Amino acid sequence: MAGRSLLPAAAVLCWGAAAMSASSYRSPFPPPSELRAPLDGANGDMLALAAGARRLFADLWFVRLMQYYGTREVREESAEPGHEGHAHSLDAGGHEHCDHGADYGKGSYPEFLPMARHIIEVDPAFTAGALYGAASLAFNLERPAEAEELLTYGLKYSPKEWRYLTVLAAIGYSKAKDPAAVAATIAPLLKDPDCPVMLKQLAAFLNKRAGNYGAAAAIYSDIAATSKDEAYVANARRELEKLAGAGAGKPR
Amino acid sequence: MRRSAPVVLAVAYNSFFESVRSRFFTLAAVFAFTAVYASVLAGVMAVDQEARLLADFGLALIELTALAYALFEASSALPREAETKTIYLVFSRPVPRWAYLAGKLGGALLTAAVMLAVMAAIHVSLLLFRGFDVPPAYAWALAGTFLKLAVIVSFAFFVSLFSTSPVSTLVISGIMWTLGHFAAEARFLAERAGGLKGFLLGAALWLVPNLQLFNVRDGAAALPLGLPAFFSAAAWTLSSYLGALWLLSRKEF
Amino acid sequence: MTAPAVSFSGVEKTYKRPRLLGADYLTAVKDLSFELPAGCVTGLLGLNGAGKTTIMKLLTGLLFPTAGKVRVFGHSPSEGAAKAKVGFLPELPYFPPQVRPGEALAYYGRLSGLSGAALARAAESAMAKTGLEPHAGKRVSEFSKGMLQRLGLAQALLHSPELLVLDEPVSGLDPLAIHDIRGLLAGLNAEGRAIFLSSHSISEVEKLCSRVLIMVKGRLSRSVERAEWEAAHGGLEKIFVEAVK
Repeated sequence: MAGRSLLPAAAVLCWGAAAMSASSYRSPFPPPSELRAPLDGANGDMLALAAGARRLFADLWFVRLMQYYGTREVREESAEPGHEGHAHSLDAGGHEHCDHGADYGKGSYPEFLPMARHIIEVDPAFTAGALYGAASLAFNLERPAEAEELLTYGLKYSPKEWRYLTVLAAIGYSKAKDPAAVAATIAPLLKDPDCPVMLKQLAAFLNKRAGNYGAAAAIYSDIAATSKDEAYVANARRELEKLAGAGAGKPR
Repeated sequence: MRRSAPVVLAVAYNSFFESVRSRFFTLAAVFAFTAVYASVLAGVMAVDQEARLLADFGLALIELTALAYALFEASSALPREAETKTIYLVFSRPVPRWAYLAGKLGGALLTAAVMLAVMAAIHVSLLLFRGFDVPPAYAWALAGTFLKLAVIVSFAFFVSLFSTSPVSTLVISGIMWTLGHFAAEARFLAERAGGLKGFLLGAALWLVPNLQLFNVRDGAAALPLGLPAFFSAAAWTLSSYLGALWLLSRKEF
Repeated sequence: MTAPAVSFSGVEKTYKRPRLLGADYLTAVKDLSFELPAGCVTGLLGLNGAGKTTIMKLLTGLLFPTAGKVRVFGHSPSEGAAKAKVGFLPELPYFPPQVRPGEALAYYGRLSGLSGAALARAAESAMAKTGLEPHAGKRVSEFSKGMLQRLGLAQALLHSPELLVLDEPVSGLDPLAIHDIRGLLAGLNAEGRAIFLSSHSISEVEKLCSRVLIMVKGRLSRSVERAEWEAAHGGLEKIFVEAVK
C-alpha cells in the first residue's frame, strides 16, 4: 500500500528527469517568426510543425515552386558548337543581358523568391532546393540580387555550406561578365548530387562557348544520364548530337 | 519480480498476437503499402528531387500509420478487456497489476516495432527498386520514430485509465503528440514573451514531451541519437507507466 | 474444525459514480457476514441487483470492500496466495474469436504460473474434464454458448483451485448443456473442491448445493441448509420467495 502511494511521486520524478534531460535541446530550424508562409500555405505549415514533417512539407513547397515556374523548353540558340549566336538583349538602361544561350524559364514570376525562400524557412537543410532557387533566379530569371538574398538566408542556418558560397561566387563573376570564371567556379559543384540541373546546363554551355567541347560533352552526358527533367535531358541529347556531328567530342 | 517475468511475457505475446490477428492490423498494413506506393506519384512531380521526396514521404507515412495503429491499440486495449470481462480472468489469477500493465505496454510496443519494420522493408524495397539509395540516417529515423511511439503509447495507456472513452484517449494523446512537435517553437515563444506569460508558457512546456528530440526523420534531432534522447524517451515512458500503474492499482472491475 | 475457505465479516461495498459536481453513491452490499466451508457447494440466490456479482468480485479481488474484511483461505483476496487457490468463471466469459481452446488455456495457464509440461498437462486435463477435447481444433468463433461456458470452466480449473467461484454458470444454456455442467460440477466437488455459485435458477441450486445464501437488497437475508429446504413444504423456492417478498 505504501508502495502504491509512492507511484505518483515516482512518475512525477521520472517526467521531470526526462524534461531536464531534454531541456538542452535547441531546434536547428528557423524560429516561427521567420516563417513567411503565403496565405494559402499557412495551414500546410501548421501541419508541417504539428506532425514534425518539415522535410516533407519543404518537398511539397519545392514541387509547388516547380509547378509555379512551369514546364520549360530548353533550347540553345547556337546552331553549332562554339557559335555564339544566342540571344543577347539590351535592357532599359542599355546594359546587355546574356541568356547564356538557353531559352528557358523566362518570365516575371514575382513569387519565385518568396516561394524559394519558404522552402528553406521550413527546412533549412534542403540545400538542393535553395541551390535550385538561387540558380534559377540568378541565371534563368536574371535576378541575381534575389538569388543572393536567398543564398544569404540559407547561409544563416548553414554557414559552412560551400555550395552556397560557390554559387554566390559564380553570381559575382556573372555580374562581372566573366563567363570563364563562372564556369571555373561552379566546376566543383557539378559532381555534387545536389547540384541543380540548370547549373550543369550553364557550365556545359559556357564550356562549349569557350571551346572546351570535351568538358561540355561530359557535362551534357551527365545531364542526360542523371536528370529527370525532360526539357534539360532533351536539350543535352540534342547538344551531344551536335557535338558529335561537328566532331567536337574531343577536348581542344 | 523474477516469478512475474513469464507473466509479463505471456501478456505481451498475447497482446501482440491479438493485434496481428485483428482485421485492423491487416487494414493498416494494406493502407501503409498503398500509401507508400502512392508516394511514387508524388516523387515523380519532384523531378530531380524524386529520391528525397520518396524517402521523406515514405518515412512520414510509416510514422503516421504506426502512430494511428499504436494509439488505437493503446487507447482501447484496457477498456476493451474491461468491457469484455477478459480482465476478470486475468486479475482473478495471481497476476500482479504491474506485470499485466508492463505486458500490455510491451505488446503494444512490440506491435509498433513490427509494423515499423514491415513498412520500412516495403519502403526500402521501393527505393531500391526505383534505383535510389537508402538515406544514410534511415535506421536512426526509424529508431527515433520508435522512441516517439514509446513515449506517446505509454501516455495513451495512462490516459485510457481515466478518460471516458477510447476516442477521448485518442484525442488527448493526439494533442500531446502535436504539442510534442511544437515544443521547440513554444520554447522560442516563451523566451520571447518574457514576464509572467513567458514563465507560465515555459512551465507548461515541462508537461509536454519534446518529440523533436527524436525526430531524426525530419532532421530535427542530432545524429546519431544520443544518450539524452534515449534517456528522455525511457524516462517519459516510465513516468507514464508509473502513472498508469497508480491508476490501475486503485481501479476496480 | 477446518478453517473456512472464505469468510466475510461486516463487509460493505459502496460504488462511487463521479459526476460533474460531487458524486453518486450506491451501496451494493451492506453488513455482510458469512463463511463458506471448504469442500462444500454453496449457492447464492437473489433478484437482480441483490449484490450477487458484487460478492463474487469481492471474493476474487476485482473489487475492494469499502468496509469490513474478506478472507480467502486466510488471505486478503488481492494476495497472490489467495488467488492461487481460486478459480473464477464470470458470467458469459469472453475469448477472442480467432483462438483455439488450447491457445486460450495456454495463455491463462501461464498467467496462473504454469509452464512447460505442467502447463500442457493442466490444459489437457481441463479440456478432458470439460468435454472440450473433441472440439480442440475449432476456433472460439465456432463455439456454441455451452461450449464457451465449458471453456470458461476449463480456464478456471487450470491451476487445480481449491475453490471455484462461478457466476451464473448455467445462464443461457440448453437443458443438455445444463445437465452436462451439473455433472461436471458434481464431479469437481467430489474431488474435494469447494464451489460457490450464483444463479437465478432455483432448481439448479437446489440440485447442486448443500447450502444456499439468499441476498435481498444487498443484505444477507437467509442462510438455508439442504436439510431445511428438503424438509420444507414447497422446497427452496418457497423459502426464497418468502425471503425476497
